[in-house]
Amino acid sequence: MFSYNLKLAVHSFKRAPSLYFLVVLTLSIGVGLLCANLALVSSMAGDPIPEKSDQLFHVSMNTWPTDQPDVEPFHILRYRDAMKIVESELPKNSAAFYASGVYARDAQSKSLKRFDSSVRATTPGFFALTNAPFAYGTGFAKSSGMEVVIGDELNKNIFAGKNSVGKTLELDGELLTIVGVLKPWTLRPLFYHATEGRAFNLTDDIYAPLETAIDLGWSIHAKSSSTDRYKSVSSTRDLNVFYLQAWVELENKTKQQAFQSYLDNYTQILKDAGDHPLDILNELRDVNDWLLQLKLVDQKILAFTLASILFLCVCIFNASSLLLSRFHSAKFEVGLRRAIGASNKQMLMQGITESVVLGVIAGIISLLLSWLFLKLSINFLPGLADIAVLEPRLLILGVLLALVTSVSSALYPLYRANRYTISAELK
Amino acid sequence: MNNVSRIYRNDTIQTHALRDFSLEVKSGEFVAVTGPSGSGKSTFLNVAGLLDTFDQGEYKLDGISVHGLKDDELSRLRNEKIGFIFQSYNLIPDYSIFDNVDMPLRYRGFNSAERKRRVEQALEKVGLASRAKYLPSQLSGGQQQRVAIARALAGEPKILLADEPTGNLDSLMARQVMELLHDLNQEGTTIIMVTHDADQAREVSRNIQIIDGQISDFKIYAPLQSLDKYKNEQSDESIKTPEVIDV
Repeated sequence: MFSYNLKLAVHSFKRAPSLYFLVVLTLSIGVGLLCANLALVSSMAGDPIPEKSDQLFHVSMNTWPTDQPDVEPFHILRYRDAMKIVESELPKNSAAFYASGVYARDAQSKSLKRFDSSVRATTPGFFALTNAPFAYGTGFAKSSGMEVVIGDELNKNIFAGKNSVGKTLELDGELLTIVGVLKPWTLRPLFYHATEGRAFNLTDDIYAPLETAIDLGWSIHAKSSSTDRYKSVSSTRDLNVFYLQAWVELENKTKQQAFQSYLDNYTQILKDAGDHPLDILNELRDVNDWLLQLKLVDQKILAFTLASILFLCVCIFNASSLLLSRFHSAKFEVGLRRAIGASNKQMLMQGITESVVLGVIAGIISLLLSWLFLKLSINFLPGLADIAVLEPRLLILGVLLALVTSVSSALYPLYRANRYTISAELK
Repeated sequence: MNNVSRIYRNDTIQTHALRDFSLEVKSGEFVAVTGPSGSGKSTFLNVAGLLDTFDQGEYKLDGISVHGLKDDELSRLRNEKIGFIFQSYNLIPDYSIFDNVDMPLRYRGFNSAERKRRVEQALEKVGLASRAKYLPSQLSGGQQQRVAIARALAGEPKILLADEPTGNLDSLMARQVMELLHDLNQEGTTIIMVTHDADQAREVSRNIQIIDGQISDFKIYAPLQSLDKYKNEQSDESIKTPEVIDV
């Protein structure tokens, strides 16, 4: 019966192509616009590391050395505070890092072309903590040493994407050996550094050992605060310079509580020693909680998404009224089929088959329109470039949404068509 | 049908389209239903064909009481036991003759080979086997009505209900269609035909006249061909109680 219903649907489309074109177009625009918005919201509100987002915690501490700070704990830490975190054996993994930047070139290359590269100066636990995917080699094992891990993009730019483990990079005049190369890696949002408007940046080009970066004086390319004067990063270890972010991986509540106590004890000792005058206020926030606190989802985009949902409702009503007129004009055939033995259920299935076919067509067109809307958005708002991405699950959602809207827009017309008295339909 | 009433109501008036209507049609009969416009002929045919409901009374089709049946069951009864022939043929214009005749069989769940056999057999019976791939618009009015008859016959129903089957045809084509209906009746098909044509009404085995939703006159013009045949084959006792289709 399904193939027969399919055949009837095609017949029906051939009879009123303009009307069905309008129905498909109406639904496609509605679904396409909503999908484009959902793509933006999904990028902004998505879970970047769902496999363990509830086990990774951002650490904020209240160790500002004077009595005039915010009541909120600070998201950047001093070197000695960060080291206290990394030293702890409670977390399964931990990382302390800061963002920097260097110019990079292949030390063996005759070309002097250098690539402006973002650097993550980090402790070695970063790779296991973030599940960084390695294409070649591994992460570095110590926080010091002239070794680096590079990202896929930089590897493509300098080494044409080949295995570059063992090769030497010249980074701002210093020679460092590559020990690992990452696969293409997208974190949306970039949870480990979602502050200062970086939430939708790409992952870094270079990952260097923290101590090495500090020793080499690689500058801080992110928010920093201090109560002490300093000339170079290399002199920050003992000063009140706040610039490191710290993350820990705590596998269960018990460890979480234990680590909270560990931090609280540490800051209490500091306070007792006169290091800071503040209340003990240390915060552990898991990935989603942390991203939520940072309010990454743009309120304007949320409002526009709501408007898109309402617009889709209008599209469904329009499509429904078009289909109602179509079904009304097909009353005779409905009556005839009912008279010769089709049940209401069979007529309903015929109508639903037709609307499913419409939904599939509308789904495909809506995905093309979504893509087009996103491209246009990027043209007008270049800042959306890294967010405006149609992920596979959104493609599936788009087709499903088109199917649901198509079937729902046909429900009332079908209900009406099945309420006609057969004898009246045949007159 | 036994004391069947059908009342149409609106805000101000109610119309008794059928009033305590009782009729029994035997298997193999060819019954003509006549009467002036608005007398209740079409309502009778709609109720008989399960296209409309009734308010009171009892109606048994082939021994099955239809009162209270669900939509699915009524649809199955229509599909299996009734063949409809409409005045304006009611063919779907953009379907081939084959597809038009095939329609009721689709809802019966037959496989394609069985459907093909039945469609070809029905078209053969009405003399249009060679036109299976034509569209209705490529046929004359008489031929289109024969296609409609083939569609009604394809499901091998117990009864044919014809609503002025020659109403849209010229006299020659009307004659051909009537001859076809008579041939089918000769072969044992039970037919109830609504007509305005007094001559056609006289050609059949029984003519009932409806006025104001009730049978006002009742005439038997000709013996039942199929019953004669039936009588020849059965014992004397069974002649007194022939097989009936209750309508």
